[in-house]
Amino acid sequence: MKISPDKLVEDNQNKEIPFYFNGKLLKAKQGQTIAAALMANGICKFGVSRKLQQPRGLFCANGRCCSCFVSVNGLDHVLSCMTQVEAGANISSNEGDPNVRREVNEN
Amino acid sequence: MKTDLFIIGGGPAGLHAASVAATYGIETMIVDESFSLGGQLRQQTQQLRNLPKSFKTQTGTALAKQMIEKLRQLDVTKLVKHTMIGTYQDGRIGVTDGHRTIPISANKIIVATGAAEEACAFPGWTLPGVMTVGAAQILLNREYVRPGKNALILGSNNFALQVAKQLAEGGVNVKGIIENKERMEGNETETIDQLQKIGVPLYFNSTIQRAFGREKVEKVILNHGHKALEMDVDLICIGKGLSPILEPFEILDCHFTYEQALGGWLPVYSLSMQTSNPSVYVAGNAAGITDMGAILLTAEIAAVSIAESLECVNNADADKTRKLLWQELEQIESESFKRTFQARANVVKRFQEETDLSQVNGQ
Ligand SMILES: Cc1cc2nc3c(=O)[nH]c(=O)nc-3n(C[C@H](O)[C@H](O)[C@H](O)COP(=O)(O)OP(=O)(O)OC[C@H]3O[C@@H](n4cnc5c(N)ncnc54)[C@H](O)[C@@H]3O)c2cc1C
Ligand code: FES
Repeated sequence: MKISPDKLVEDNQNKEIPFYFNGKLLKAKQGQTIAAALMANGICKFGVSRKLQQPRGLFCANGRCCSCFVSVNGLDHVLSCMTQVEAGANISSNEGDPNVRREVNEN
Repeated sequence: MKTDLFIIGGGPAGLHAASVAATYGIETMIVDESFSLGGQLRQQTQQLRNLPKSFKTQTGTALAKQMIEKLRQLDVTKLVKHTMIGTYQDGRIGVTDGHRTIPISANKIIVATGAAEEACAFPGWTLPGVMTVGAAQILLNREYVRPGKNALILGSNNFALQVAKQLAEGGVNVKGIIENKERMEGNETETIDQLQKIGVPLYFNSTIQRAFGREKVEKVILNHGHKALEMDVDLICIGKGLSPILEPFEILDCHFTYEQALGGWLPVYSLSMQTSNPSVYVAGNAAGITDMGAILLTAEIAAVSIAESLECVNNADADKTRKLLWQELEQIESESFKRTFQARANVVKRFQEETDLSQVNGQ
């Protein structure tokens, strides 16, 4: 792992925090995005595509392509590349279309 | 919320525009959708070449730090984790954190939303492990995660070459750089020499036929001349160039033009970096893909011009400063790619033609 001298996401990067992915306890560096923390744990597949259920993972790392969706604490379709991990977060892979609040709106 | 100047995008262009504007005494607010300021500088660990005279040579990450620190000392309102998503009927701008949307009324707006990377489709390109060169660079330099063990780079522009080098230095085995043309697109000799020294093979006249893998990419087949080559890789980085991000300009009703040398479609703008919507200005890579020096200079031109129109500086002084900045811009930009500056001049000419025409039509 390469540590640059004038790193930005920084100084508390050495602090490790726990999080869960599909129920499994993993560790992230504080300040890391969910996508980076998953990849640091050897997980590249974050979910599947909506129609053909093909594997999907990080593509642009900039919140533009929507390839990196995961669910965080029950909220579906969170961009894992734009969201930092929080200690104890319950993250699960994106298994297609989320529940679109039909029961709330009834329409 | 109310402000004199609202800047969308906190990369080098937005940050520099904010500090110049605040120094002129303009009430300034800057917003970025990411969780921290710095934009695409946050992962650029290389030394930046060709910066304007007022900057010392430094790495991208150091420059981001320096600019953020400068803003801290000035009276600038900063808002991160908020995305500009639209405008209200009365012209106010809507920014959202995903839960609630805040209306912001501003006298002047600078759009400095930067550029997005181009994708390149081939069978298997949606597999995990296939990503843009910028994504690999973010993982490596900003997140401290090695994106793979055995990599293939698709594209040979300066940005792709730079990332290939950084990956190799970061312990990734870069198995090759694939270029579909017969020669290299990039021209940074230092990076090219270093790649040669490391021993990264270059495959010209080559394309990816297909990438395979069950849960992620495991193997790739190349068309190399008349031969098919097979390689075991777990990372394919697509480096097919950048193009300006356009959505904010669409929302703000700006006119567009096309210049290949600047990355394709972009808003037309004047010598003041003002778009066809008089309250909207543009800066950085959103005004055409270029080098860091030019990114910072366009931001300064926009900020000075806004200071002029808000009467924080007189016309004569603003004009003088703007002329000097354009001279430096021409010099810096022409050094790396001459056609970039020529394309920029075309954009300004087109803005002028549009303005003349609307005067003739009495609009
Ligand atoms: C992933 C990536 C890596 C790059 N690496 C290099 C490199 O190594 N070398 C090089 O020469 N060039 C590189 N570039 C090109 C890069 O565009 C420039 O280096 C430079 O950062 C552009 O500066 P900017 O201020 O114009 O835009 P950026 O630095 O891109 O900043 C724009 C900011 O605007 C924000 N934003 C966008 N839309 C919105 C919105 N609607 N609401 C709120 N905020 C918004 C973004 O979050 C971003 O922080 C890279 C580009 C990308 C995408
Ligand atoms: S990887 Fe493209 S949006 Fe997250």
